[in-house]
Amino acid sequence: MEELINNLKLQIIDALNLEEMTPDQIDNDAPLFGEGLGLDSIDALELIVILDKHYGIKLKSPAEGKTVFKSINCIADYIEKNRTK
Amino acid sequence: MNGTVSITGMGILCAIGNNRQEVLDALLRKESGIGPMQYLTSVHTDIPVGEIKLSTGEMMQALGITSDVPVSRTSVMGALAVREALEQAGIRDVTGKRVALISGTTVGVMDVNEQLVQNPPQGNDCGRSTNEIAQFTGLSGAKCCTICTACSSALNAIMLGAEMLRNDEVDLVIAGGSEPLSRYHLNGFNTLMILDRERCRPFDDTRAGLNLGEGAAFVVLEKDAPNAMAYVQGYANRCDAFHQTATSPTGEGAFLAMTEALKQAGIGPEKIDYINAHGTGTPDNDASESAAFQRVFGPNMPPMSSTKSYTGHTTSAAGSVETVICLLAMQNGFVPASLGWSHPIPGGVVPSQGCTGVDLEYVMCNSFGFGGNDSSLILAKNKPGARECQLADEGKVVIASSCIIDNDEQLPELKEYLSPMETRRMGKMMKACLLSAFDALKEAGLERPDAIIAATAKGMLETSTQFLEEIIANNEELLKPTLFMQSTHNTIASAIAIRTGCHGYNITYSQGEESARWAIRDAKMLLRKGEARTVLVCAFDEELPTDGTHRYQAQSTLYTLRNE
Repeated sequence: MEELINNLKLQIIDALNLEEMTPDQIDNDAPLFGEGLGLDSIDALELIVILDKHYGIKLKSPAEGKTVFKSINCIADYIEKNRTK
Repeated sequence: MNGTVSITGMGILCAIGNNRQEVLDALLRKESGIGPMQYLTSVHTDIPVGEIKLSTGEMMQALGITSDVPVSRTSVMGALAVREALEQAGIRDVTGKRVALISGTTVGVMDVNEQLVQNPPQGNDCGRSTNEIAQFTGLSGAKCCTICTACSSALNAIMLGAEMLRNDEVDLVIAGGSEPLSRYHLNGFNTLMILDRERCRPFDDTRAGLNLGEGAAFVVLEKDAPNAMAYVQGYANRCDAFHQTATSPTGEGAFLAMTEALKQAGIGPEKIDYINAHGTGTPDNDASESAAFQRVFGPNMPPMSSTKSYTGHTTSAAGSVETVICLLAMQNGFVPASLGWSHPIPGGVVPSQGCTGVDLEYVMCNSFGFGGNDSSLILAKNKPGARECQLADEGKVVIASSCIIDNDEQLPELKEYLSPMETRRMGKMMKACLLSAFDALKEAGLERPDAIIAATAKGMLETSTQFLEEIIANNEELLKPTLFMQSTHNTIASAIAIRTGCHGYNITYSQGEESARWAIRDAKMLLRKGEARTVLVCAFDEELPTDGTHRYQAQSTLYTLRNE
């Protein structure tokens, strides 16, 4: 799980152009949107591409992503349960 | 400035017909033109589209054109619509007349570029498609102008035409827009996940996105013409200044555009007999437009419908396609039905199911684009009273400040204005433009300008090249929305508006080397009319030479009126 979380953070930093951040600066439980990291609707779309590209998970709409993308831990859990690659 | 702007001709091609009569018949029969792809080549065959039922070759044949190199569908569709409009206006010869051909497009020549898999040309010379339309329709002597404000481009083209006539800069205007389907923007919209796999349902509670369509439509505008079919009574261009691709929940830009258009038209909201809404069918747009309607019209909402479930969203051409639909509705006394609507949005507006035998005196047409480029146009059936507008002397227009950014060493200065979180997605072109704009405003001691105008020959060259390369390399899968969202020509003007909170007039010109001249002309007019006290003009272009370097230049200039 730890490895998955670290890889996931690196993929997020790359796809979301969070150039000045390192994986340990992203709190596993902190909200990614709004108050926390401050991501927006385009970031949600990029997260959907990450799930598809690296884990073979296809979300149908950004609305589906709302519950999945609450925090790094939420995404990692979802990946563990649903990954096809 | 004075006189009334008459509409004397119109031409249209879209998914429901290749001319006015076919479009009218389909609207009255309530027949949609949305279906599976026949002409566009894409791996996404599950996405329904609204195609014109003619191949590019068939359109070339209809125009009597032959060519050894691929011709842009934008140009031939546009030429057919212009030809129909000129015929209806009874104009065969334009010798001796000062003519302007103004077209709105964002696909421009991208439909041709994307077919050239080996070394596609960089950037998108939208102005070339307008020059070709002129060439194919005997208008080679016309002043050509291309407007790129995404999905409101064609409506802004009609407004510019009306302004030029009122200001006596030309005798005859042909204005509208042309937008074919392209693999480029189909994939772009797909990355934003706003394409419905079924027919779109504007203002329906179950709406799940838009269908892309293609279309070309033009109107002929003349001053005080005896053969007028209708009049351009009022219009306004405003900016939502909220987000590059999302709309504000309160519909601020839409509200301001409609309110100002009504004010300009000199009528109250109760006079409007029909509204052709932007109504794309995306959850976002329809909620935001609904909120704006409620702010403008209160409980007395006039009959309103979106015709995008017939034509698909014809993006940059939507403004003129829907203006022509409004004109057909006025001439034939009917309200087009909101096809496919059945579930009201709780607390939202309810679109019309259509009716015939009605008299439409005043009609409003809305077009809203990415980046918050929101415009509203009001047409009148009967001749309105002439509106006079005193212009300040051109000599009073002065430059308050100007700033050029053209190298990597300057870019870190952007940190003075924006956080790393805000700049993380921006390419160098965007950073250079924003920095030049902020510096020019700072030098003039101004927080925000009243209006923003951008000028570019080839648009967002680096990001659009990257996105096109990704489409080809990844075979249209797993593409980055971040690239698409900042690849349209209007990205810069919207970004400046968003970052400065400027809700005023906002437009982008793309007419080759003439782009900046059009922008400055517009800035001067806004100041002389008293519609703005300060106008920021940002001219930008970039190149990616084969030596691996990236050349770019952004120049922001703040224009104002000299105090006496």
